[in-house]
Amino acid sequence: MRLNRLLPLAAVLVLAASASPAVEIGAPAPDFRLTALDGKPISLADAAKTHKAVVVMFIATKCPYSNAYNDRMKSLAAAYESKGVLFVGINSNDTEPEQEAREHARAHGHTFPIAKDPSNKVADLYDAKHTPEVFVVSPDGKLRYHGRIDDNSEDATRVSSPDLKNALDAVVAGKAVPVAETKAFGCSIKRV
Amino acid sequence: MLDQARLTKSGRRRLRSAGRLAAAFLLVQLGAPPGAPAAAPSRVAGDLDAAGLTNLVAARAREGKEGKVVLVNFWATWCVPCREEFPDLIRLEKELGPRGLVILGISTDFSSQAAAVEAFLAATKPRFPNYRRKAGSDEQTFIDAVDRSWGGELPFSVLYGRSGEKAKVLSGKHTYEEYRREILEVLKSSKR
Repeated sequence: MRLNRLLPLAAVLVLAASASPAVEIGAPAPDFRLTALDGKPISLADAAKTHKAVVVMFIATKCPYSNAYNDRMKSLAAAYESKGVLFVGINSNDTEPEQEAREHARAHGHTFPIAKDPSNKVADLYDAKHTPEVFVVSPDGKLRYHGRIDDNSEDATRVSSPDLKNALDAVVAGKAVPVAETKAFGCSIKRV
Repeated sequence: MLDQARLTKSGRRRLRSAGRLAAAFLLVQLGAPPGAPAAAPSRVAGDLDAAGLTNLVAARAREGKEGKVVLVNFWATWCVPCREEFPDLIRLEKELGPRGLVILGISTDFSSQAAAVEAFLAATKPRFPNYRRKAGSDEQTFIDAVDRSWGGELPFSVLYGRSGEKAKVLSGKHTYEEYRREILEVLKSSKR
């Protein structure tokens, strides 16, 4: 029993200490358990099994790049909810307390689950560098997409490559993601 | 330079009204309409896309008999750690410029933040030139052209040796001592 409890912890420690800088596309997405701001538990493994896709989205309250996407996060989460996709917001910034994250979610109408990531453990597991940064996990628990939400953080009306949307459409349809890795500017995650 | 703190109240009043008169005189001389503020010259050296930046670094590294070590620092006005480390870069350029260091600042602010960029440069008064990432150019192409390992997080700095070769990549905020150590190492080790 005791050993059973320790094994997942050991696995987490190994992953955190691993030399591999980032989770590779097609590899198992690291599991995590967090408590959402509403007090409900979030388990990636459980969520992946019960959804067509899970979007693990590193967000912030003060970052202008993350904030530029507030409306897009809200509308994407709502649009894909009916397709069986779960959006999970993770705030790993040590500088942004739980209450601030809660107020930010309320102010922007974010109804998808959001959790604080104490000691940025989940950000470390994913080697998430900045906000916003998204990871898409398929029902088999594998990472299918990593990167930006789209190619125009400044102007939502001038997006020419909706990368997250494209990735979700592919995963939901059981197809290969056309562009599985993208990059964009963002605010460094304020780690402990 | 006059020390305003030492002036009497009436003295300060006289100085202010003299200043207003001088400003009004200048506007008339410049032919500006009365009441219109004189447009201050931009403190931004120019706009750069990925190719423009590559060419600029190569040109600056070639300067002088021994070549220069070039530190390119990517920042944004909204990026708190960028603002925090900026005075250290100003200090380092003053200190190590005579030993062959060139610093180039690149603002990645949204084009709508042009006024904030000007205000930041006016307040900090760096001696080194600062450019803006060209609006409309693709973020990912720019990020990848600078360094494949860069995920887009800010601040981000790249040190180039005297032949224009990439010597070091510094992700996130660094202290004065850390920057100084890295720069000195490249100043000593790199040869034209």
